Amino acid sequence: MSENVLHIDHLTMRFGGVVAVNDLSMDINKGEIVALIGPNGAGKTTAFNMVTGVYQPTEGHITLLGQDITGRRPDEITKLGIARTFQNIRLFSSMTVFENVLTAHHLRRTSNFLTATFRLNAAEERRMRQETEALLKEVGLYELRDEMATSLPYGKQRLLEIARALATKPSVLLLDEPAAGMNPQETEELGEFIKQIKDKFQLTVFLIEHHMNLVMGISDRIYVIDFGKQIAEGTPFEVQNNPAVIAAYLGVEEEEGQAEEEVEQR
Amino acid sequence: MSNNLQKKKIDSATILSAVIVLAVYALVFLAEQTLPATSMLFTVLKKGATYALVAVSMNLLNGFTGLFSLGQAGFMLIGAYVYGIFTIPVMSRMDVYQYYNGGLVQFTLPVFVAMLLAGLAAAFFAFLIGLPVLRLKSDYLAIATLGFAEIIRALFQWDKLGPITNGSNMLRLFPTFNDFNIRGADGQVTVYLSTLMPLLISGVCIGVIILLINSTFGRALRAMKDDEIAAEAMGIRLASHKRLAFCISSFFAGVGGAMLAMYQNTVQAKSFTTAMTYEILLIVVIGGLGSVTGSCISSFLFVACSEWWLRFLDQKQVLGGFEVPLLRNGFRLVVFSIIIMIVVLFFRQGIMGTKELPDLIRGWQGRGKRQAKGVRSK
Repeated sequence: MSENVLHIDHLTMRFGGVVAVNDLSMDINKGEIVALIGPNGAGKTTAFNMVTGVYQPTEGHITLLGQDITGRRPDEITKLGIARTFQNIRLFSSMTVFENVLTAHHLRRTSNFLTATFRLNAAEERRMRQETEALLKEVGLYELRDEMATSLPYGKQRLLEIARALATKPSVLLLDEPAAGMNPQETEELGEFIKQIKDKFQLTVFLIEHHMNLVMGISDRIYVIDFGKQIAEGTPFEVQNNPAVIAAYLGVEEEEGQAEEEVEQR
Repeated sequence: MSNNLQKKKIDSATILSAVIVLAVYALVFLAEQTLPATSMLFTVLKKGATYALVAVSMNLLNGFTGLFSLGQAGFMLIGAYVYGIFTIPVMSRMDVYQYYNGGLVQFTLPVFVAMLLAGLAAAFFAFLIGLPVLRLKSDYLAIATLGFAEIIRALFQWDKLGPITNGSNMLRLFPTFNDFNIRGADGQVTVYLSTLMPLLISGVCIGVIILLINSTFGRALRAMKDDEIAAEAMGIRLASHKRLAFCISSFFAGVGGAMLAMYQNTVQAKSFTTAMTYEILLIVVIGGLGSVTGSCISSFLFVACSEWWLRFLDQKQVLGGFEVPLLRNGFRLVVFSIIIMIVVLFFRQGIMGTKELPDLIRGWQGRGKRQAKGVRSK
C-alpha cells in the first residue's frame, strides 16, 4: 500500500532573487490523494511546474517510481506517467471534445508520420478512437463529444481537461486547482469524481486546491507551504489544528487585514 | 444509433466533395481538347495549380501548425533549380551552360524523379535551417526564414557555383508542362494534357497534405497551434513536430518550385523574390488560415485576377468615344492592392475561415433537412 510513487527531494526554485519554492520535500505513495495547499503566491504552481518539467529546479531532485526525472522535458515526463491539468484551462480551442481527448493518445503511437499519413496505422487509429469513446463515456462527456471544447460550460471544461490528462494513461495525476470557479455543488461532485477515477484508473492524485471542503474531504494527506517553505504536513485533521497553518491562513496580528481578504476570496 | 447516422452523413459529404473535384478535372480535360491551347484559361489553371500547392504547403505551417514562416520562395527556388539542373537534356547542356563549359552535371533524370528530388532537396535544406531557426517564435521565425530565402537567392547566383547553377544566367530547355501533351507521329498534338497534368500533380500533393492533417500527426500539429504548453503536457514533443511540419511544408514548396519552373519554361534565381512569398501569404490569408479548400480557391482567383481579369486596367479603354481616365500601365496593381486591403480589413477570416469543402456541403445538407422539417411541421 505504501509504495512510493513520487518522491520530491529538497526542491528549490529561484527566479533571480526571489525564492519561489524553498527546500520542499514530499513523498507521495501509490493510491493516495495528496493535496498541496498554501496562501496565494506560496509557490504551489511552481512546485507543479517543476514536477512536470516546465521549470528546471535550481536545486533538488524529483523521482518517479525510482527513476530520476529532474530536468526532463515535459513531454518525456508525461510519457513516463505524470499527467496534469492547468489552473487556467488550456484546452485545444480549435478542436471538439472528442478531438481533444483523441489528441492526448498521440504520445502512445507506434506509427510515424508516413504510416499515419498513408493510413497504414488504421488499427491503431481505430483503437485510439475506441479508447477515446470509452473514456468520454466514463467521465460523462460522451453526449457532448462533437461540441467545440471551448463552447462547454466551465465545469465541463475542467472535466474535459481531466479526461484529456487521463488519456495519456498516467500513473500520477496532477490537478492544479480543479475546482476553481465551481459552485459548492459542482465542487462536491468533483470530489466524488476524483475519488472514482482514482480507483478506476489506479491513480495516485496530487492536487493543488483552495476549496478547503474539497481538500479536507478527499485528501489522505496534506502538505502546507507558505512563502515557498513547507510549514506543515499530515492528515486533514492534523493540518487543520496545526498552529502554523492557522497563522499562515488567518495571519498573525500585523497581517490581519491581508489575511481577512484572503479568507474572503475563499 | 445516432453515431451511425452521423458517420453516414460525413461519408456522403466527403463523397460529394470528391465527385465535385473529379468533375472539375473532367471539365478541364474536355476544355483542353476543345478550346484553343492559347486561351488565358489554361495559363491561369497551370499557374493556379502551382500556386495552390505552394499555398497549401504554407498553410500547413502558418494555418495548421502556427509557425509563421516566410521562407517559401527560398524553398521554391531550391525545388525549381534541382528540377532544372537534373532534367535538361544532355545534348542541350552546352547551350544552357555556355559560360561554364556545359556544366558539371552530365546526366538527365526522368521528370517525376526530378520533381521528387526537388522536394527532398528543399526538405533537406529545411531540416538544416530548422535546427537553429525553429527555436524562434512568431515574428522572429518569420524574419529568420525571410533572411534564409534571401541568402539562398544570392547563393544560387554565385559565380563559383556556376557549373551547377549556371550562376546568374537562366536555366532553360528542360521539360515543361507542354511536354505532357501526347503527340502523334507527325508531331501534331493528339491529346492535350499540359493543363490537366499540373492540376493532377498538385491535386495528389494536396491530397497527401490533407491526409497528413487528418492523421494523428495533424492533430498534434493543431494542438501545438492552439496551445503549446498544453500540447507539450500531453506528451507531444514540440521540437520534433515543428521540424516535421517545417520539412514537409518545404518538401511541397520544393515540388511547387519545380512546377513553377515547368510553367515558366525558364528558371532564374532573381525571380524568386520576397514578393513571391508575400503573394503566397496573401493567397493563404484570403483563402482562410487553416483551410486547404480556401487556399486552393483563392490561388485560382488570385492568379486569374492578376494574369487575366484585371489586365484591361493596364490599357487605354475607350467607352463610347470617352476615354476612361487613370487606366494606364501599372494601374492594375493599384486596383489589386485596394481589393487586397478590403479583404484584409473586412474579411479577416478569408473566403473559407477554417472550413473545408465537406463542411460546406454538410452545412447545406443540414439546412436542407431543417427546411424539410419545417415544411413537414406546417
